[in-house]
Amino acid sequence: MNSLKFIFFSLSLLVFTACSNDDRNGSSEPFVVAFENLSANIAELPNTTTIALVYSETAAQNGEVRLSLQTINATYGTDFTTEPAAVNNEIFIPIQQGTTGTSLIFNKVSASIDETVEIKFTITQIDYPSSQIQGNTQFSLNSSASLGRSFEPNVGGPNEGNQVYIDLSSETETVVARDNWDLGFYSGNDFRVMINGSIYMAAAQLQTTNIDAVTQSDVTDLQSQVAVGTFNPVNEAYVDAPDGAIGGTTIAAISENNDNNKVYLVNLGYEVGTETPLPGSVAITGDTRGWKKIRILRNGTDYVLQYANIGDTNHQEVTISKSEGYNFTFFSFNTNTTVSVEPKAENWDINFTVFTNIIEFAGAYGFSDGVLNNRKGGVTAYLVNTNETSVSYDDFTSQHVNASNFEADQRTIGSSWRDVMNEDKVIYDHIFYVIKDPNGNIYKLKFTALLNDAGERGYPEFKYNLLQ
Amino acid sequence: MRFFRYSLLFFFINFSIYAQDIQAVDTLKVETLKEVVITGQINPQSVEKSVVEVKVISRNDIERQAGNTLADVLNNTLNLNITPNTASGKSGVSLFGLDSQYFKVLLDNIPLINEEGVGNNTDLTLINLDDIERIEIVEGAMGVQYGSNAVSGIINIITKKSSKNTWDITTYVQEETVGEEYEWFKKGRHIQSLSIGHNISTNLYANATVTRNDFAGFWNEKKGESYDQNDGLRGHEWLPKVQQTAKALLSFQKERFAVFYRFEYLNEGIDKYDAIVDPNENSSTGTTNPSAIDEIYTNNRFYHHLNSTGTIFKNMAYNVSLSYQKQTKDLERYTYRIKSDEKENIEKGEYQKRSSVFSKGTFSNLFQTNNFNAQAGYETTLIEGYGSAGSFEILGADAISQKVNLYDVFSTAEWQLNEHFSLRPGMRVSFSNLFDPQYIGSLSAKQTFGEDWELRAILGAANRTPDYDELFTYFVDVNHNVQGNPNLNPEKGVSAFFHIKKSTRVTEKLRLKNKVSVNYLGLKERIELIVVNQSPLAFQYNNIDSYKALGAFSENEFFYQNLKAQLGFSVQGISKILDSNTQASDDFLFNLQLNANVAYGVPKWNTTFSLFFKYIGKEQQFVETSDAEGNQIYSRGTTDAYSWLDTTINKSFFDKNLTATLGCRNLLNVTSVNTTAFSGGGHNSPGIQIPLGYGRSYFLKLTYNINLN
Repeated sequence: MNSLKFIFFSLSLLVFTACSNDDRNGSSEPFVVAFENLSANIAELPNTTTIALVYSETAAQNGEVRLSLQTINATYGTDFTTEPAAVNNEIFIPIQQGTTGTSLIFNKVSASIDETVEIKFTITQIDYPSSQIQGNTQFSLNSSASLGRSFEPNVGGPNEGNQVYIDLSSETETVVARDNWDLGFYSGNDFRVMINGSIYMAAAQLQTTNIDAVTQSDVTDLQSQVAVGTFNPVNEAYVDAPDGAIGGTTIAAISENNDNNKVYLVNLGYEVGTETPLPGSVAITGDTRGWKKIRILRNGTDYVLQYANIGDTNHQEVTISKSEGYNFTFFSFNTNTTVSVEPKAENWDINFTVFTNIIEFAGAYGFSDGVLNNRKGGVTAYLVNTNETSVSYDDFTSQHVNASNFEADQRTIGSSWRDVMNEDKVIYDHIFYVIKDPNGNIYKLKFTALLNDAGERGYPEFKYNLLQ
Repeated sequence: MRFFRYSLLFFFINFSIYAQDIQAVDTLKVETLKEVVITGQINPQSVEKSVVEVKVISRNDIERQAGNTLADVLNNTLNLNITPNTASGKSGVSLFGLDSQYFKVLLDNIPLINEEGVGNNTDLTLINLDDIERIEIVEGAMGVQYGSNAVSGIINIITKKSSKNTWDITTYVQEETVGEEYEWFKKGRHIQSLSIGHNISTNLYANATVTRNDFAGFWNEKKGESYDQNDGLRGHEWLPKVQQTAKALLSFQKERFAVFYRFEYLNEGIDKYDAIVDPNENSSTGTTNPSAIDEIYTNNRFYHHLNSTGTIFKNMAYNVSLSYQKQTKDLERYTYRIKSDEKENIEKGEYQKRSSVFSKGTFSNLFQTNNFNAQAGYETTLIEGYGSAGSFEILGADAISQKVNLYDVFSTAEWQLNEHFSLRPGMRVSFSNLFDPQYIGSLSAKQTFGEDWELRAILGAANRTPDYDELFTYFVDVNHNVQGNPNLNPEKGVSAFFHIKKSTRVTEKLRLKNKVSVNYLGLKERIELIVVNQSPLAFQYNNIDSYKALGAFSENEFFYQNLKAQLGFSVQGISKILDSNTQASDDFLFNLQLNANVAYGVPKWNTTFSLFFKYIGKEQQFVETSDAEGNQIYSRGTTDAYSWLDTTINKSFFDKNLTATLGCRNLLNVTSVNTTAFSGGGHNSPGIQIPLGYGRSYFLKLTYNINLN
């Protein structure tokens, strides 16, 4: 009898444990259809272009979105057509269940489309339950600079193996492997040579001008210091000025007088890492890339690069010309040739790259997640901290731009947009940037991600908008 | 609302409390005077006869405190501090200023595995007390008896292995608030347990226990899993966790032979909901799809222990244990879509694993005469494991497993020189695959004066073996160079204790027990992470520092009729000799502790009132800070004083079949303590708060007990 009661009691205990529940209050967001981007340059478009529309979530059922069409100096049917076709300046695009977006095809018909033409599509109605028109509700085809968009530069994940050059006004991205080059020969008036800070190179001037006479024993003592990350401030002298000023290269200006052009000991830095680190961390560096000795001379308007391995008693020599319209001519010891790296100086504004910075009292230190503005190309920028200004990114207009704030320092964005000191790697929500490109276009730019959804580093995202 | 729920609880239990025909059991028995202990003994004997000084926490004490895990009941023990880690939910021990690396936890005389070690580094919240008979505590180095890492002291948890009843069935529910927080499922602590013991025959006894301990976390300002704003409020202040324990024992006993097999399984799940919410803004549509990267940790521990005791060759007593234990920790990491309640990018795997094969045997009465007894023994520990506590990496197939094998032999003797004086020398030699042979010794002496005075002097030694990180860390990249050191030696600890004890029977009703002790504990070749190369900067673990603790303490007991009171105080000074840092000071810094423990029984009401108090005085520590000029200096940082106070009322009903314990933990509502003892701060910086607890909380425990004969 007692055992029965006992069993009953035990069962009543089970009731406690069995019905663990979870009362989640599901929130209902509106369904939004918007243009993926805001604008495109009509002159540069191919004859057939797809204009993407995106949904805020996967469509759970069928529906329809309605666009209106406005034109300046262009006529539907004669100058251009669309698919689906416009009827009475209205376009109906179906929303299909299970899709995350749709598109509109734009066909240029006439060759006479010029910079006076403007074609605008506007979302006027979304036939879908609890839908809402918001975000990029308009798309413009014209000849002015990009109105802005969002970007996911292909930095290459936690190894951050790429340098990504972005041109905001033309919405273009140029991706180059970070270890693709070693030296950059300045194409401007000065004769200057930079080392590749994205692979943590370092260089030290030797006393001699005879490259063949330098032996391993001459440089052994120096080698432990000529490196990034030694925590000895002495190494600041062995890296290029991190602000990007061309006069601050560790290699002195190349002189017409060959006696002034000393031999340099060059630490080639590190291969791009290949390990997969913990989510949120980076694995920037792989094996060390070794050492070279180099000497650079001038030959008219050209550079002459002499280089050899440390112990060699003879050297190779190559003539390198300046590149008109570019900041630098790049040279790689891997291929022993010049290589293509940066777009033309006026065709990029910011560069996503690992970079070498200087920490006070600790010397040269490797930084990941860097964003450098094109200082040599004339791009300037400044940082806006909304904790201080109280104007949010969305509310910031050209009225708020303070021209005296623009800085040339290429680290103005740098790594100031994210915090990776703690276990949690985060972007600062209160920081955005104002950037002026070489053509005087001013953009506001804000980072929206540092990690991907799985928490892995090296997947930044940002958005920007033209201030006009 | 809360009272409604409690009454509901009563309602459930009321179904089954009419068990009148069952024999009463002494859940409120007054303390037995002759407590038998086994820790550090050649043969089990009473506390009074023991040459080693052993403290006992009895089942009664555990019941009065309604302690569920070891962390609950050690809170008010003198000298011993519980150090909770609010982020991980673990609790460690600090004794004589040394952390849990130096403190060994044993279960029935054998070291208990945990995620960071075997025996030491124990997380006390993972030790369930449901089938525990008593807890024995010895302060000071016990390396000869219990091997490496028993430097500051040991705890030996003794489980229940017999019963005088044919059937013992006990079940309880315990509902606790967490600070002010309590709800049926989402908040508070909820414990359910069932244990059954049965004498199958006169020789064969078995018992089994299952317990579920659901801690819903401490929310405080935080808003839990489904919160979708990125303002640092998602998740919990203390992580929620659910523990499930199953234990079983089979014991056979016949004449001079006994054997038992005991099994334990522990499963613990910890949910870590990240405070960082990625809004995943879609700048095209102007909408968000917030996600967070959440983690679930799962601990699994298996414990097998086979033990045999008996006598062979006429009189030689043996006690041989063989144990296999394994603990693994799994991590599941995923992207949680907060709005749609979906998991993505699920990654799952083991990131820590440790197993040990342990065997220990002692052979006593080797050359027994009336006044001499010698014991010889062996101890082998084979530990295999991978994964460091610091990394949270799911291990791939290429994870390198590391082995630590220890082969020890030891011997002790007890020599009764005359009626009042006995000596207890001992030594141990330890061989290992990692270190040179280690030799340690111990010597204890006991002198009595008449019936009342007992004097004990105890010299002990023990080493601490370097842990996994210290031996095998490897963190080298362009900006960092931190390396473990496989050539490390064990840290060497010695301790000396001197105890004077007096028992006084003042009247028939009033009795006193007073004890004054002096202690010294020294540690040499302490392992520290030091700079081994300035440029480029590189760090490595090395045997370099030393440590001293010197102190005095007194413990006093007072018995008057139904009142039992215990009062203790302790002053401990600690000196750290940091050869790893040239500017450090090795001055002694002192800390005062008080504790009090009062139990008052009212037999007429079957009720006991209890109070548990501990005061931890202001504590100073040398820390590296910077002065006004920005220079690195060593200065005294101070951690403020704080106190723990718990009270309980314990009452039994219905012929003692039902016991209710109502209590309040942390009555003084301590949540954190201010400290300036942290390195890196400015010289006069205001200090930081160390979280200690979640504030005043209440509990009700209802135990239902049936004994059948």
